[in-house]
Amino acid sequence: MKATHVAIPDDEIRIGRGMVVPAIACAFVGVAALGAGVLIEGFPRFLAGYLASLAFWLSISLGALFFVLIQHLTRSGWSVTVRRIAENLAANVLPLAVLFVPVIVGLSDLYHWTHPGEDPLLREKSAWLDPAFFTARAGICFAVWVVLSRFFLANSARQDASGDVALTHRMQRFAPAAMILYALTVTMAAFDLLMSRDPHWFSTIFGVYYFSGGLVAFFAVLVIAVYLLQSSGRLTRSVTTEHYHDMGKQLFGYLVFWAYIAFSQYMLIWYANIPEETRWYLDRQHGSAAGIGLFLVLGQFALPFLALLPRRPKRTPALLAGIAAWILVGRFLDCFFIVSTEFGLAEVFCFFGIGGLFVAALLFRMSKTALLPARDPRLPEALSFENL
Amino acid sequence: MTASVVPVSRDTSPSRDNTVEDPARRADLVLDGHDYASVTDAICGIAERKETPTAWKIAFLASGGLVTLLLLMIGYLVFTGLGVWGINRPVGWGFAIINFVFWVGIGHAGTLISAILFLFRQKWRTSINRFAEAMTIFAVMCAGIFPAIHVGRVWMLYWVFPLPNQMGMWPNFRSPLVWDVFAVGTYATVSLLFWYMGMIPDLASLRDRATTKVKRIAYGLFSLGWRGSHRHWHRYEVAYLLLAALATPLVLSVHSVVSFDFAVSQIPGWHTTIFPPYFVVGAIFSGFAMVLMLIIPARKWFSLESFVTARHLDNIARIILVTGSIVGFAYSIELFMAWYSGNAYERFAFLNRALGPYSWAYWSMVFCNVFVPQFLWSRRIRKNVKALFVIAILVNIGMWFERFVIVTTSLSRDFLPSSWGHYTPTWVDWLTFLGTFGLFFHLFLLFVRWLPMMAMAEVKAILPEPEPAPAARPEVPPVPAGCLGAVAEFADPETFRIACGRVREEGYRDFDAYSPFPVHGLDRAMGIRRSRLPLLVFGGGLSGAALGLALQWFTNAVDYPFIISGKPLFGLPAAIPVSFELTILFAAFGAFFGMLAANRLPRFWHPSFLSERFRRVTKDRFFVGIDAADPRFSAERTGPFLASLSPLSVEYLAEHPAEGR
Repeated sequence: MKATHVAIPDDEIRIGRGMVVPAIACAFVGVAALGAGVLIEGFPRFLAGYLASLAFWLSISLGALFFVLIQHLTRSGWSVTVRRIAENLAANVLPLAVLFVPVIVGLSDLYHWTHPGEDPLLREKSAWLDPAFFTARAGICFAVWVVLSRFFLANSARQDASGDVALTHRMQRFAPAAMILYALTVTMAAFDLLMSRDPHWFSTIFGVYYFSGGLVAFFAVLVIAVYLLQSSGRLTRSVTTEHYHDMGKQLFGYLVFWAYIAFSQYMLIWYANIPEETRWYLDRQHGSAAGIGLFLVLGQFALPFLALLPRRPKRTPALLAGIAAWILVGRFLDCFFIVSTEFGLAEVFCFFGIGGLFVAALLFRMSKTALLPARDPRLPEALSFENL
Repeated sequence: MTASVVPVSRDTSPSRDNTVEDPARRADLVLDGHDYASVTDAICGIAERKETPTAWKIAFLASGGLVTLLLLMIGYLVFTGLGVWGINRPVGWGFAIINFVFWVGIGHAGTLISAILFLFRQKWRTSINRFAEAMTIFAVMCAGIFPAIHVGRVWMLYWVFPLPNQMGMWPNFRSPLVWDVFAVGTYATVSLLFWYMGMIPDLASLRDRATTKVKRIAYGLFSLGWRGSHRHWHRYEVAYLLLAALATPLVLSVHSVVSFDFAVSQIPGWHTTIFPPYFVVGAIFSGFAMVLMLIIPARKWFSLESFVTARHLDNIARIILVTGSIVGFAYSIELFMAWYSGNAYERFAFLNRALGPYSWAYWSMVFCNVFVPQFLWSRRIRKNVKALFVIAILVNIGMWFERFVIVTTSLSRDFLPSSWGHYTPTWVDWLTFLGTFGLFFHLFLLFVRWLPMMAMAEVKAILPEPEPAPAARPEVPPVPAGCLGAVAEFADPETFRIACGRVREEGYRDFDAYSPFPVHGLDRAMGIRRSRLPLLVFGGGLSGAALGLALQWFTNAVDYPFIISGKPLFGLPAAIPVSFELTILFAAFGAFFGMLAANRLPRFWHPSFLSERFRRVTKDRFFVGIDAADPRFSAERTGPFLASLSPLSVEYLAEHPAEGR
């Protein structure tokens, strides 16, 4: 392997004070959009859009957390140059935990199971689908994610100062247990937050479905984030075409994985045609959901699949970022598709509402640490890597 | 703040424990200071033994006995009928399906190692991939036997293929059993291509070392005249990458399609949406256990400890732990969802598994698949070869029980208690299953005896490059009559790289570089444009998809329309699996045959083969050859020019060299 010797100047790996104004602007847009959403659509209708939006932005942070964990689990080298961005994205679960409060407030509007009435099935399930228990489970999930994401961000940031290799070992040792907690909580959250919207419906693959979509969304955001940072003159020496190529491959790979999971769920339910299961898809074959369902197959999967298949788009940052943005729209529509069947203004407002706050919190967090784990022992390997 | 970055270095410590890794250096994957020559000698030496070891003969005879048993059992079955098996109503799927799923699952680790780990750039795969790919092929052969004999009238087996027959009917493409035919067929074909393609350079090594004429011709035929040309390596690598990218979704699809056999139905315990990914993970789990079961004795018998190191075993053990935990997690999700669904039949199915007449099988499964792998959390156990071997066997038993539990419990007790039954396998069932193990090991023994057990070319590519040694300017021999070209021989890749660049700078175009493994950094030096093979592969995939859709639409909706279980004559969801498999199959053909065609292989004669020294191109030497057809070629000038590039030797190629050797 050829020797690499790079000196990385400070303004390359810090976003500095220049981002304060954009961050405040994003926060302002977020609050305004949410406020407008409630005022125009009314709280109950607003909530459905809010949940879909929250699920979407949360899936990005959860995808990022998975990415960080799997890099440590596999002692990965190539990803070091982009790992800090993922660590920051994962740590964004903290503001999302705060943004989760309206869901608890609106529980009875959002979830039909909160008033089971005479429905025998819901009465039977009430041991699990119980407001207090639901809140406790959600609390546990968010707590686990906050602790995990902060652990990895904090240890990685500490390495920036000390360069201590022991920190790498520490993160590697902690990763397996973290991964188990991750799998349990993400599955539970997917069942609770999203699947229980239709409390009669059930699908064992649903946790994997939400997880796979989150990974796609995360890689799309990662590509866009790196692209924007590079456009503003940062990370230009550490993130190379090879890293774009790798991110593009992963984006492509997980997009196919999502399609595989989505197809498995759809095909099995379609084929067996058991009324209690099929109804969920049937509900989504009318109205605006029908168009969105088709878009998910053709616009969100087939088109980006073809676009990402050749080598060149993955190695052309601007093009890759464009494809990623397009995929991201599809990811949001998928979250909406799961949560409800009528698309409206509430969804649009909430997308920008939570999104504004998400980006603001991200910019704020990114300004506190370097953008690159500059003293990670595997950085040289990441910098010298070349694709075949 | 500035961050300064130091070069990547390799661990050169003499310790044999390479499981602990300093994050700044990658641990060595090949121990004991092997170099290109010694790797070739070590691996080829196994296949080249003059004396067949007695232990091998005994094992070969024993497994051959089991193959005979298998044939006897199949003969007995065919002549007597399916009644010799334990299947009954309601358990119409007994051992045949259990064993089919078991063996197909075993195969999955091979493709995972050869394709998925390749895409993830896991270099440790190089010393076990050949082995695991062979295992895949043999396991799929064992698997294929069961559905074939389960159809009862085996002479009617051709009905599962889309062939026009005298009754003018077609297979029902809406049936997952027909999807299986396509999935397993594609899987076997693509795995075979992948295995064979990886083996071509290594077969060339065996050809060049062969001491008898029979071996030389046999290995020569199958190595297709491979001569390590860099222009070939370039396309070869592109094709290999494409095949890996195709095999990855393929391997996921195969066990997913197998899971569809169960999950598309409405039987409680079978119809659950997590089945596809959960089957795939289970397959990888059992497959890796089988890899361990085979590699642990093999590395000892053939002294392969410097290639299959503690780190390899540790990595395999980790994968078993991960996949085992995922399988356990899936069990618990199924259990939870059975309760959460509120469906009485679903709940009963799971209670019946744990507490019903087959609870012994269920708890064996939980013990072997969920409990036993947890020992692998311990580093000490992962380093203990005997413990790993025992765990691997238990995992394989557990995964067999998993299929037994799924098939038997759900079928024996479904909706109507009056139609419940009990399934007990007969002695024919057991002996047939035992017989397939014989077949598996029999084929495996043949493989380790005659074929290169490890991907030598790939192992060489991950060895640290030797330092360029200063070479004296070699003597240039006199120019022979009828000179076809000149070759220069190099000892290390770096000198070779520089030499290739110099040859091109000098204005030569009709030249080639030859090496035992693909040397990176030559494409630019030699002015090789990126292969357009991907386009061909894309075209292949597209035509496969179109053919798949057209075939299913024409046969089931036009030529022989027949409503089955309320499905539309042509429903896209049901048409996806077969179309997908054909897409992969045709794309893989494009990659493999496209690579051969573009490389003009097979080509059994080439001027370079005139050189005696050139035989080492498949071992440890690097050559630059300039063809006499090149306009700039002139023997008087070209020979001395090559000698100036610090090679070991320079030679002219001619049918009758002027100087007799």
